[in-house]
Order: sequence, then structure tokens, then C-alpha cells
Amino acid sequence: MTKEKEGGQENDNENHGDQNNSQTWNLVREKLSEYISGDAFSRWFKNAELVDPEQQDGLVAVQSDMHQIWIETNYMDELRAAFAEGAGIHCSPQIVVKGDVEADLPKAVVGKIPLQEDNQKIAVRGARANSSVKVVTPNLEEKTQAFQRKLKRLGINPDFDFESFVVGDNSQFAHAACSAVAHQEGRSFNPLFIHGRAGLGKTHLMSAVAQQLLANDPKAKVVFLTAEHFANEFIEAVRKGNLDAFRKAYRHVDAMLIDDIQFIAGKERTQDEFFHTFNALLNSQTQVILTCDCPAPEIQTLEPRLISRFESGLTVELQPPGFETRVAILRRKMEQWKVELENNIVVHIANQIKSNVRRLEGALTRVASYSFLSPENMSIEKVDELLGDLVRDENTHLVTIEQIQKAVADYYNLNLSDMSSRRRPASIAFPRQIAMYLARKLTKLSLVDIGDGFGKRDHGTVIHACKKVKSDIETDPEVRGAVEKLNAALERRN
Amino acid sequence: MKFRIAKEAFLDGLQQVQHVVSSRTTLPILSNVLIEASEEGLRLTTTDLDVGVSGTAQAEVSKTGATTLPVKRLVNIIRELPSAEIEVSVDGKNVASIKSGPSFFKIIGLPDGEFPPLAGFSEAKEYKIPQAIFRNALKKTSYAISTDETRYVLNGIFSSFKEGKLTLVATDGRRLAMVDHELEFPSSHETDFIIPSKAVQELQRLLGTEGDMILKLSDNQVCFEIGSSIIVSKLIEGNYPNYRQVIPGDSKERLTLSREQLLETTRRVSLLSSEKSNSVKLTFGPNQVDVMANSPDIGEANESLDVKYEGKEFSIAFNPEFLMAPLKSLEEDEVHLDLIDEMSPGVLRTEDAFLYVLMPMRVTS
Repeated sequence: MTKEKEGGQENDNENHGDQNNSQTWNLVREKLSEYISGDAFSRWFKNAELVDPEQQDGLVAVQSDMHQIWIETNYMDELRAAFAEGAGIHCSPQIVVKGDVEADLPKAVVGKIPLQEDNQKIAVRGARANSSVKVVTPNLEEKTQAFQRKLKRLGINPDFDFESFVVGDNSQFAHAACSAVAHQEGRSFNPLFIHGRAGLGKTHLMSAVAQQLLANDPKAKVVFLTAEHFANEFIEAVRKGNLDAFRKAYRHVDAMLIDDIQFIAGKERTQDEFFHTFNALLNSQTQVILTCDCPAPEIQTLEPRLISRFESGLTVELQPPGFETRVAILRRKMEQWKVELENNIVVHIANQIKSNVRRLEGALTRVASYSFLSPENMSIEKVDELLGDLVRDENTHLVTIEQIQKAVADYYNLNLSDMSSRRRPASIAFPRQIAMYLARKLTKLSLVDIGDGFGKRDHGTVIHACKKVKSDIETDPEVRGAVEKLNAALERRN
Repeated sequence: MKFRIAKEAFLDGLQQVQHVVSSRTTLPILSNVLIEASEEGLRLTTTDLDVGVSGTAQAEVSKTGATTLPVKRLVNIIRELPSAEIEVSVDGKNVASIKSGPSFFKIIGLPDGEFPPLAGFSEAKEYKIPQAIFRNALKKTSYAISTDETRYVLNGIFSSFKEGKLTLVATDGRRLAMVDHELEFPSSHETDFIIPSKAVQELQRLLGTEGDMILKLSDNQVCFEIGSSIIVSKLIEGNYPNYRQVIPGDSKERLTLSREQLLETTRRVSLLSSEKSNSVKLTFGPNQVDVMANSPDIGEANESLDVKYEGKEFSIAFNPEFLMAPLKSLEEDEVHLDLIDEMSPGVLRTEDAFLYVLMPMRVTS
């Protein structure tokens, strides 16, 4: 809005011929023509216009990709200054190519049932589309180049969207929560805290939310960054003494998405700043999403007040994918990369690599590129050879009997020696059985080896223990809770 | 497979192809050079799946065959060998024995069947271009290729075959280099495509000053045959932006400068441009140009050039690297500098069809 800038008298100056130019834009252009010379101005900005004069977002549409490249490389400072000086708008201008503009906001119009006000907006957009901006049928399948560039600029990987995320039992809840947030159905899911081990799709889900939010409203201010980046920016701001600008940049946004929040652990002043930013955002009901490689209470040296705030919204966990999901992920990737592999090879890869989706993709890359080069030599043995080091890595992640015994003993407050002693009071015997059950589940050792590990017990004892614990898990919630906790703790150690 | 070869010939052949191999490859076979021995001699081939290079080396082959060997290691060994003649034999398990004078090396290779074949160009369009012309045109444009990967269409040289002319263009958004050459080709062969930067580097290594080069073009691949060497490369997909929009129209002032003098002066003066400002300022007065650089905490430099100039007095600042790049690549004695004002891009031209658009730097104060 043009504020008190003496009404509409000063239009109709040299810049004419385009009825669509808002008064705001005229003011900006006028200022701009002072900053850059006549030739450059008429070459690059003559036919430029604001995408939406109602918005003070600095989104400028130009007629070709060369205009975009040249302006982005050479004239952004001038443009920013012109917005500020000419129209009093403080923003970071963005350049889009006309024609891409409409396609830039594909899902907004189609994706949901329009409310009253949305209807009006669409009408406005439609009108403009007819008059000046080239109408492009929004292609929902393919993101336009401009949209992709925008994502890249914001640090979002365009490949990480909801469509490319394979949902399994391990990730269903997390996916549903993210999807609700992305479609703005979940205001109460704030903050959304996603945790899970490396390579399970935390960043993927968060990127997908960011993309969807941008697709819903291309002008939404979505901040997407890693906690480390946040810390660096903060340090830089402290050093340069412009904390105010820093606060403005992060507190006036529509959504804030922070990856790997565990990195702020141990950085006291950053935590402090983050705490205030976080509060400001929650108070203004701004959506916040955080990802972390462990549950919030387990982040070392994180202030309790932050932990409790992280837990105040919805916490979802990403588990390692099950076998079926792993196969589905492989198939999806193969489709994407247009490679074909024998079924038994896919199953074999899924069986070998269990802990981590990123590693699964790495394994597929190796096998796929090998089979691309010499399809006739493809065999299970070859796959084993190719994946040798990855599989070895997977297996070293298996826990040992000692680790299990230690974890169980700690949990039940027993001595480690009780695990292999001959004593049999229930307070010792039952935890010992749980430890055997976990050893059976988490290691690849035989029953005999497990028996040996628990004070040279018979393999029958181990079988009995496993059966007993299994049936107790089904009937006794306390046992189930204990086993799940221990299991998770042991798996996370990997 | 068994052959005798002169050390220099083997080394030359390997060095021609080894640059394509990157130090970090996903597949072991891509670190290897394919060696094919036939009656005519050796053919050496490397690839990174995007660009492939193949060349020949004279050798006395006593037993034909093929294998692949790790190229970096092979080059290091051959370079250090004590004698001028080398004997190589490879057994059925791709283990190569290399003998030279008193030294003996054994290195383990991979079967040649695993090596990805270079793309074929059976039904491709063909163009015949004198090597000297193409080499020259690449030299005059390649320094302006953008390295910003978010704009991948600019990560190569735009090559257009239109209206009896070969035009090469490279830009990174701050400068644009363009060169034109008359060339004969059938009008049905009019086209344009983008050669990726890596292929351009290989081309510059292999192109000579005599003879012709054959360029073959298929849908998404291009092949350059230079003598007995071949470069095959994928093309960059996408549309190159309309570069003509960048070239300013009429200029106000034209200066004619000695290329070498301008280059030397800029090089000397730029010694005192700071990393921060990184600019040299050109001030034009009556029959004189002052080239200046100063950084508050280091010092300043100033040198003047005599020139025929009667226009208005004004200054313009450029990034010295960007100003020197075309001057280094040109051969002409004189260059023309066309300017409008201190904020508009400068245009460097030669009598030939070379043109370079350079954005000025903002001078505060």
C-alpha cells in the first residue's frame, strides 16, 4: 500500500503505457531510474511489473530468463534500495519470469476448496492473467523451473516432496502430521517436532512441508535452515552488532523450519536467542517445525525450558523402515532413475541394508550403475561384492550381548554379574529373560551362544525366556514399555 | 595382450585422456583407462559417463587384446620408468606386467567388458570446422562460462549454427563473451546446443592449429573427432537465455587501445586492488586514460595510458580479472572499448567478430 505518499498525482510521468502498474511500482521504478542509467533501466526494467501490487513482498515479474539472470546478478541491491526509498517497503525482492508466475502457484488454486476470500483472490489473479501475464495452464505434475529455482534459493531440495516420500508403518504418523501442517489443518500441531535417526527422512518430510506451504501461497515467507546455520547467522549478527535485523528476519515469517536442532546444544547464547525467537513465533501462532536426531529430552546440554517447549506441540518419531517399505522405496527409486533390476536382487538389497534409507539409496546407486554398465554380469554374488563395505558397516552396528546386559541391568538397577549368575529370584530372573529376548532379537547369535553369554545356560533356557517375554509383552503393558524403551535405547546407540 | 612402446608416446597418449577421470568415482571401472591393442597400435579411452575421451598411441603390438588399468597410477609409473622403452603384457586375468630396463611392475586391472562404451553417432548431423577456428573461438569465450550450478544452462558454451555462421557464447550474468565465424554447412543443419564446461576443457586440450575437426550431433550427445582422437559428451539440456538482450545498443564513447598495454597496465595496477573492493577504476580525460586502484589499508596504484580520446571526462570501474580475461585470450594488437556512462556495461570489440560485455562495478564515493 502506498501510504500517505500524496495520493495519485504523480503517476502519468514518463513511465506509461502499462495500466497494470500499481502506484507502488511507479514509485519504485522512479527511484530505480535514479540508481541505474537510462539504457540499463529501459533494457531490464521497462516491462517489469509487480506480481501482486497488493502485497509488499517485492515479487517482480520480468519478461525473460535473461532479464531474471541479469537483474539477479547485477541489480538486486539497487532494487532493494528502490523498494525501501521509493515506496517505504523493506523486503528482499525476488525476480520471476512472466508466465512462470501463474505456474509458480499451481497447487494454491486447485488443491483445496476455496473459501470466500480465496475466491476473490482467484478472481483477481484470473483478471490479471487475462490482461497482461501470459496464462499458463498450471502443470501439477512438473514443477516449473522458476519454482525449482526458488526452492533452491531457499535451500530446499525440490526432489523432497510428499509425492516422493514412501510411507510405511514406520513413518505413517509423521507423514500424516506433516501433511496436516502443510495443508494448514493442524494449527494445534505447533511446534511439530520430528525425531529419528540419520537417513530416515526427517529433512525430506520437512522439505515437503516447506514446498507445500510455498505452493499454497508462493508469497509465504518460509524460513528453512539448519540449526547450525541459525547459530552462524546469530554469531555473525552479534559480531556485526545488527541483532535487530536478525530478529526481524526470523520473527516476522509465516513458517519457520529448522533442521537438526540438536546442533544448538551447548551453545548458550544461541539457545537463549532461539528461545526468544521460538516464543515470539509461537505467540504469533506461526508454524514451527523442528527435526532432531533424538527425542528432545535426550539432547545433551539443552536447557530444560527449551525441552519443555519442544514438547509442547506434537512430537512424532520416524522409525527405520520395515522390509516392505524398504522394497517399496527401492522400487520408487528405480522408477525414478528408470533402471530395472531382477526382483530377487531388489529383495536382496532390502534384506541387507536395514538401518537407513540414505544408505539404501546408496546401495541401489551402486547396483544400478553396475547393472547399467554390464547387465549380463548381474547376480546376487555380485551385489554382495558391490555392497561389501556397506553391509559390513550395517553389521558392526549390531549390539553385543554385553551391551544388552549392561542396558538391562542399568534399567532394573541390578549388577552386571547378576545377568550371568546362578541366582534365580524373580527380580533377577525376569530381567535376565528380557535380556535374552533382546539378545535374540538384536544380535545374530545362535541360541547356544546366547546361553553361553548368560553364564553357560542351556539353549532351552533361552527359548523359554524368549517365549515368556514375548507372551508377557502381549499381556503386560509394563513389560511392553520396558522392552520398547530398552530396544530403542540399544538401537539408537548404533 | 602384449606390446612394446616408447615411454614418451605412452605418456603422451595417457595424458591426453587422463583428465576426464575424476579422483572420486562411484564405480572403480571409471578410474581406469581402456587400452585396446590392435595391429595399428593402441587406443586409449576414459570416461566419467558425461564426457568420454579417446586417443591413440603408436606401439609395436605382438599380441592384440584389451584391458583396463587404473589410469592415475599407470601415468605415475610410466613417468618414473628409467628406460625409454617399455614392454607391457597382460594376462587373462587382467594383470599387467610392465617392464622397462631393470624395473618391473605388476598392476591389477579390470576386464574391458565392464568399461562403458562411448555413444555411437551413426545417424548424426556432421559439421566440418577448421581446428584453428574452433580452438580460437573456445579460447575467446570459455573463461566467461558460469560456475553457478543453480543456473546449469549457463555452465557451458552456447553454440549456434545459423545463417552460415558459427556463433559461440558464454556468460555468467556479469559478463558475456561472444564470437562469430563464417562457416559453410547445409542449411538443413541449422541448430544450436550447449556444450558443457568439462567437454570444453577437453576440447581445448586436444584441438590443434591445423587441419579440420568433425563435429557430430545427435539428440543429446555431441562428438568431436580431432585427428585420431575423439571426445564424446552429453549436451546440457534446456534453453539458453536470449543473450542478445544483454548487448547494449549505441555507445557514446569509443576508445581504441593497445591490447597489450591495457593488459599490462591493468595487471600492474590490480596488484593494489583489495580483495574487498576488487576493482580498477578507469578515468578518461583528453587523450589519456588513468587506470587506478586503491584500498584504504594497503595503498594505491596509478598508471596512465596515452590514447586518442576527445569525449567527455568520466570514470568507470571494472573487476580487473574480468577485464583482463578477454585481453589475455585475444591476439589482435588493438581493441575497441565502447562505453555509455559509468553505470552501463562496457563493450570490448575487435575488428574480428568478437564482442565482450562487461558490467561495471559500483564505485562508492
